Amino acid sequence: MKSYFDLIDDGGSDIVGQVGRQRERIAEALAGVEHIVAIGSGKGGVGKSTLTMQLALAMERRGRSCAVLDADLNGPCQARLAGLENAALLPGGRGMALPRTSTGLGVVSMGSAVPESEDLDFASVARGDSHVWRATREFNLFQQLLGLVDWGRLDVLLVDLPPGAERTLQYAEVLGPGARFVLVSIPTALARGVVARSAAALRRTRNVTLGVIENMSGYSCEGCDEVRPLFDGSDGTAPELGLPVLASIPFDPRLAAASDAGDPELPPGPAVRAIEAAAGSILSGLAERRAG
Amino acid sequence: MKFLCVPCDEQMKLKHAIGPEGGSVALVYACPTCSAEMAMMTNPHETQVVGSLGVKIGTAEDPETAAAASKCPFTGMLADMGVPVTGTRAAENADSVENGNGGPGGIPWTAEARERLANIPDIVRTSAIAGIEKFAEDHGYEEVDAAVLERARSFFGIA
Repeated sequence: MKSYFDLIDDGGSDIVGQVGRQRERIAEALAGVEHIVAIGSGKGGVGKSTLTMQLALAMERRGRSCAVLDADLNGPCQARLAGLENAALLPGGRGMALPRTSTGLGVVSMGSAVPESEDLDFASVARGDSHVWRATREFNLFQQLLGLVDWGRLDVLLVDLPPGAERTLQYAEVLGPGARFVLVSIPTALARGVVARSAAALRRTRNVTLGVIENMSGYSCEGCDEVRPLFDGSDGTAPELGLPVLASIPFDPRLAAASDAGDPELPPGPAVRAIEAAAGSILSGLAERRAG
Repeated sequence: MKFLCVPCDEQMKLKHAIGPEGGSVALVYACPTCSAEMAMMTNPHETQVVGSLGVKIGTAEDPETAAAASKCPFTGMLADMGVPVTGTRAAENADSVENGNGGPGGIPWTAEARERLANIPDIVRTSAIAGIEKFAEDHGYEEVDAAVLERARSFFGIA
């Protein structure tokens, strides 16, 4: 009896070819992107999204051309952070036009297409069983965004990852070995424990993790411009992660207020200085890796 | 998936399809040698998983099929055989534009503008269409063409 491999084709669908063309389209769309930097953690609520936006702005202030891709498809924040909640999604001649802030930063977020009062709803016949297939749909959508957006020429594409150590690994696989990672933690054993899992997961890939940013490292006092203690572990190190600490960023309530308002430009202070330092460290890391 | 007629040791060929109904399609295969027939009923959940991969089953390449295939991966196969395709209301709105009819707002789209819709992820295509048609209405355009899309880009400050 003939085997599966004796039968000549798959009925004309060319599934393997379709997957190959999907990958080719992504490679083509990203051809003008010099670096992809994924901002992850594994832990939720540590400030990944806010920092991603701030890092992009800091890099732009240093003359780099940047864009942000919000990979948190179910809990997108970047549209609000950028003031692009009502940005139109427009089809251009070479792909989906890249929505931009008033300062020119490109931001792609599902928050521009799905109002905060709604969830991301895939057409389904499997109510109650979406866990079976939903992750696949989500990664397919993420790959569509990578391949359909007209990214143009960028120095850095920052990808804001969703929480989950296993998601960090999955996005590393989707983005490919050339993508660099930065992990965000806060100075608590609880958060560092989860971030350590993400770091461990990334060590199993060929992706380079540039380092960790310690967020909420102290409290930036608006009145006296000093940084006061917030958590016990705010000593600027995170030895259990086995990664260089790129910067320690104090908590600044003005940053939260500005983020809620969709006005990401911050008044000067310790937090902005630390964010500038973090952006500088990441850019240096990218330059060293390229030279190496 | 492939099917082999065991007595004839011959690959069976797709003969016709029934559906989709409730997310399931019945695909009837026949042996080219002995004409024996068998039917494969797709499990709606499995069909959904195949659809999750963003691939299409079948060979049809026309825009109508390509648009509808984002909802059902077997649409290409069905369209090859002239089987009509149904979808959700939201999908039908998107399909309506992509198939050359007016969108939900009743504004006609040119072929070039319709082709560009393939650059929008399928899950947000309906909302993108609504936004574009609102822009067109607000600015008094009677048709969505490539020039209107470019004007919308300028209007919204998009690169």
